[in-house]
Amino acid sequence: MLHVLQPGDAPARDRVLQAMFAARKSVFVDLLKWNVPVVAGTYEMDRFDDAQATYLILTDASGAHLGSARLLKTDRPHILNSYYRELCAKGPPSGPRIREVTRFCLDRRLKAAERREVRDTLVSALADHALECGVEAYSAIAQMGWFQQILAFGWRCRPLGLPRHCDGALLAALRIDIDRDTPALLRAAGIAPSAALTRDLRAAA
Amino acid sequence: MRLHQVALQFARVVEAAGDADELARILLAITLELGFQYFALSHHVDVAVVGDSAIRLHNYPAKWADYYDAQTLGVSDPVHRASHVTSVGFRWSQMSQMIPLTARDQRILELGRTQGIGDGFTIPAHVPGEARGSCSFAIETGRPVPETTLPLAQLAGGFAFEAARRLWSGRGHRGETDAPQLTDRQRDCVLWVARGKGDWEIGRILGVSEETVARHVKQACARYGVSKRTSLAIRTLFDGTLSFTDIFRR
Repeated sequence: MLHVLQPGDAPARDRVLQAMFAARKSVFVDLLKWNVPVVAGTYEMDRFDDAQATYLILTDASGAHLGSARLLKTDRPHILNSYYRELCAKGPPSGPRIREVTRFCLDRRLKAAERREVRDTLVSALADHALECGVEAYSAIAQMGWFQQILAFGWRCRPLGLPRHCDGALLAALRIDIDRDTPALLRAAGIAPSAALTRDLRAAA
Repeated sequence: MRLHQVALQFARVVEAAGDADELARILLAITLELGFQYFALSHHVDVAVVGDSAIRLHNYPAKWADYYDAQTLGVSDPVHRASHVTSVGFRWSQMSQMIPLTARDQRILELGRTQGIGDGFTIPAHVPGEARGSCSFAIETGRPVPETTLPLAQLAGGFAFEAARRLWSGRGHRGETDAPQLTDRQRDCVLWVARGKGDWEIGRILGVSEETVARHVKQACARYGVSKRTSLAIRTLFDGTLSFTDIFRR
């Protein structure tokens, strides 16, 4: 089931959000060893997790976290313009129609095949969400291995600057343009929402 | 700033490449612009076995390419092996710090140098569920590696590999759709096979009989068309049914 939590929504579904913050702690802190704040020893939350953030969260029928992504507005502080300006040759892209995708998170409990299903469904949801909300581009920061996977999703990507070594990793910033052709480009690259998760999507809509 | 313009230009032109020949011409131009002389874009497989379905594009001297194929270096090439332990571009001269180099590896590198291929820079390209691949840029023996353009080479290699992937899949070579599918129970058994357990042990772990495990493993082998458990484990790792994380997680 896809949950889209947007600024201005009725009080957020706490359980879904909580599960996502816990999953993020497990992935980004425990697994990837990112140096990011942890709240109450359980939840990975930083200053960008505020009322202005949008979340796309995939859960199973019981509400357990499968995957999630955080979208930040780019006309206010976000990751690229706060910490990684040097990754952009011409400054971070910003404006009301550009969102930064951060904390793309696949639950650690997923098996390899499920990970791919959840990943593909989440990527498709990102494109759909952009089209529904008039977002024309996403910006993102990626380590090189993940960068190659993002390219392989088939959508239109552009480097925002040259890769740089930051905190022991080689990072690059990129811009992903979203337009009416994007869903077809994703499908052509083999990225499609999983049948099971799509059924849930329709039920939720 | 200027390098970034070049990176954007690279991304645009490789994306527009309509076929492999065009991509090869573009890659050569990029290679020279970056200060290298040779490029090699490939899936890390034995080309003689896999044939056209594997990505392969290079401008190495024909004599070297023939030798390379004759020795089936596609799978054992030290450059390829080194690119499996990192997601970041590396210089060939750094390889000995990344993987153990055998005497044969040293001979291959030396032979490459006598054929005019000196140091190089390789960008790994791994898409889960597909053969690993890479894009290498190499210089003629005796010339220095163009240090300043390496970040650009990193990006160019990534985009070039993706362009090749798109062109090759357009030829209907992706072949993921009819991939074998295991039941959850078969997969559980294969996971323990990959962890080195025998049928009896797996039976104890999963709470079923040894015979049941043997049957699951046999049926899983049948679905993949292989007869050995080792081949089964490798195939499931390769297509993403299992991941290395699954195997090492406790």
